[in-house]
Amino acid sequence: MTIRLRDLHTCFEGVIPSIIATASQDGIPNISYLSHVALVDDEHVALSDQFFSKTATNIRANNNAAVMLVDPRDGSQYRLSVVFERSLDSGALFETMAAELRASSAQLGMADVMRLRGVDIYRVASVAAIPSPGAAIAASSPATSVYLIAAAKLCGRISEAREVDAIVDAVLDGLRDSFGCANSMLLVKDPAGERLVTVGSRGYLWSGIGSEVTIGEAIIGTVAAERRAMRISDMSRIRRFGDAIRAAAVDENQTRTIALPGIADAMSQMALPMIAGGTLRGVLFLESKKRLAFSKDVETALSMLASNAAAALALADNTSGNEQSLVTSQGNGALAGRPFSVVHHLFDDSVFIDGEYLIKGVSGRLLVHLLGLHLQEGRADFTNREMRLSNELRLPDFKDNLETRLLLLRRRLEEKAAPIRLLRTGRGKLRLEIAGPALLESR
Amino acid sequence: MPGTDRNPIDAALATFLESPVMIIVGSCDDGLLPQVARAAGAVVDRAKGRVDLIVSGWQWPQTIANIGRNGRLAVTFARPADYVSYQLKGRAAIVPASAAHRQRAQHYIEAMTETFAGLGLDQVVAAPWLVDLEPQVLRLAVETIFVQTPGEKAGSILEPSQ
Repeated sequence: MTIRLRDLHTCFEGVIPSIIATASQDGIPNISYLSHVALVDDEHVALSDQFFSKTATNIRANNNAAVMLVDPRDGSQYRLSVVFERSLDSGALFETMAAELRASSAQLGMADVMRLRGVDIYRVASVAAIPSPGAAIAASSPATSVYLIAAAKLCGRISEAREVDAIVDAVLDGLRDSFGCANSMLLVKDPAGERLVTVGSRGYLWSGIGSEVTIGEAIIGTVAAERRAMRISDMSRIRRFGDAIRAAAVDENQTRTIALPGIADAMSQMALPMIAGGTLRGVLFLESKKRLAFSKDVETALSMLASNAAAALALADNTSGNEQSLVTSQGNGALAGRPFSVVHHLFDDSVFIDGEYLIKGVSGRLLVHLLGLHLQEGRADFTNREMRLSNELRLPDFKDNLETRLLLLRRRLEEKAAPIRLLRTGRGKLRLEIAGPALLESR
Repeated sequence: MPGTDRNPIDAALATFLESPVMIIVGSCDDGLLPQVARAAGAVVDRAKGRVDLIVSGWQWPQTIANIGRNGRLAVTFARPADYVSYQLKGRAAIVPASAAHRQRAQHYIEAMTETFAGLGLDQVVAAPWLVDLEPQVLRLAVETIFVQTPGEKAGSILEPSQ
């Protein structure tokens, strides 16, 4: 039976290390593990050139090599007789392999050490299965159409959602219900800065709403910078930096940083860029305790979903400016409640309620602005347009993600059980609810 | 040189080579076509500077044939938990597997299965890599030892410890 390279796609997931044997011109063999083998087409594979210098020397003198691939699902082994063809140090394939390497090594803090020097292209002369006693037949992955049907259904639901929060919920609930992804988060790009902000998550001990990732940092930030999807199928090969994250979570009041959620024993991760109108809008992130949780088929289906969600979010943010958005405050009964303090730090617009860190940046300014107007003027109604034109708010520009920032603020207030709430009462309408007399102070 | 005062296999290395580490074997035929194989355990003879590799003749017939023809062999020992690796090169001869070799292979397979289980890898997945069917012994006279652990020293010759 002829084995095609495409039939071995799970062997290229990077879970079980591949092996390469070469020989010098005078017949001295060399054998080494390989970090990356990529499938190019049915006749070619690409190997990354990082450390294996003897292999590189041999292959230029004697272009024959043997590569062994392992299927991570059942351990079955395949021998490839390969012939070195050429080296690449640029181009689409090189960039893809370099990006994958950067994503995994950024997590190790070894970005410089693991820099990809070149990609070697080999022609595959033959593929043979290595015999194994009691060989199991690899479980085939579900047909692509299963994921396509789920993605199509989910895209439909996203398209029906009109508000930013409904879109975010449709994406995350859909990932859980239709794709079985229990742990996921959606981050949007802050148009003003080089950061992504979590606006929703599922399956974590804490929601992490408002937590930030710097663009270029770890897998989520790398996906944002590279604008291409990435998958890690076996995290045990990558040292987790989870402990550092959780240590930071202890005191967000001091760091003014909300901890990014995460599962400590994640084995698989996938991040997908959300691009619409040529602009990166955010990143969709999924993780699982299972090895190989996200196949190439799932990535393909979810990349369409991510694009669809990006378009829906962009549209929701832009059209909201045309609506009369109302913010009404219910302040009259509030005087009876327990007084609370709201401290606004001008240098970073961070807001603390009764000493508890709430949020910073534009979302912080929004809250202080609304509360200030309410306290000074007793005003109940505000419009989106008014917020956008306000000098005090200093919104970055017209494409300001106002809807997303209001969503962030609303959910963060809920999560912190704050005595102030922003309730959505209809399309473009918000109600400011205050549980007691607010003492607003700016520092 | 093997068997001389400058025996390159020190005690620490010998212990490593006989511990539960993955063993991959490289050889080539007379047309310089390389082959990959796995060994199911090793026995080190420090005094003679040689390492016996137990290889399944059933699973890796080309490797056995290559060694029978030209004896050229490279073997890398890699610890799955931290990728500490050494590559040994030299000439090998095929010798019959003794009862001790067979026993070593069995112990190796058990220890390796346990090591993989500790790393969260299913026994069924690792089984095809740990085969000692029709064992043959490749007796390697070690000529050179290289550090193969990924990093700056990868590929350098191991300096004998003092």
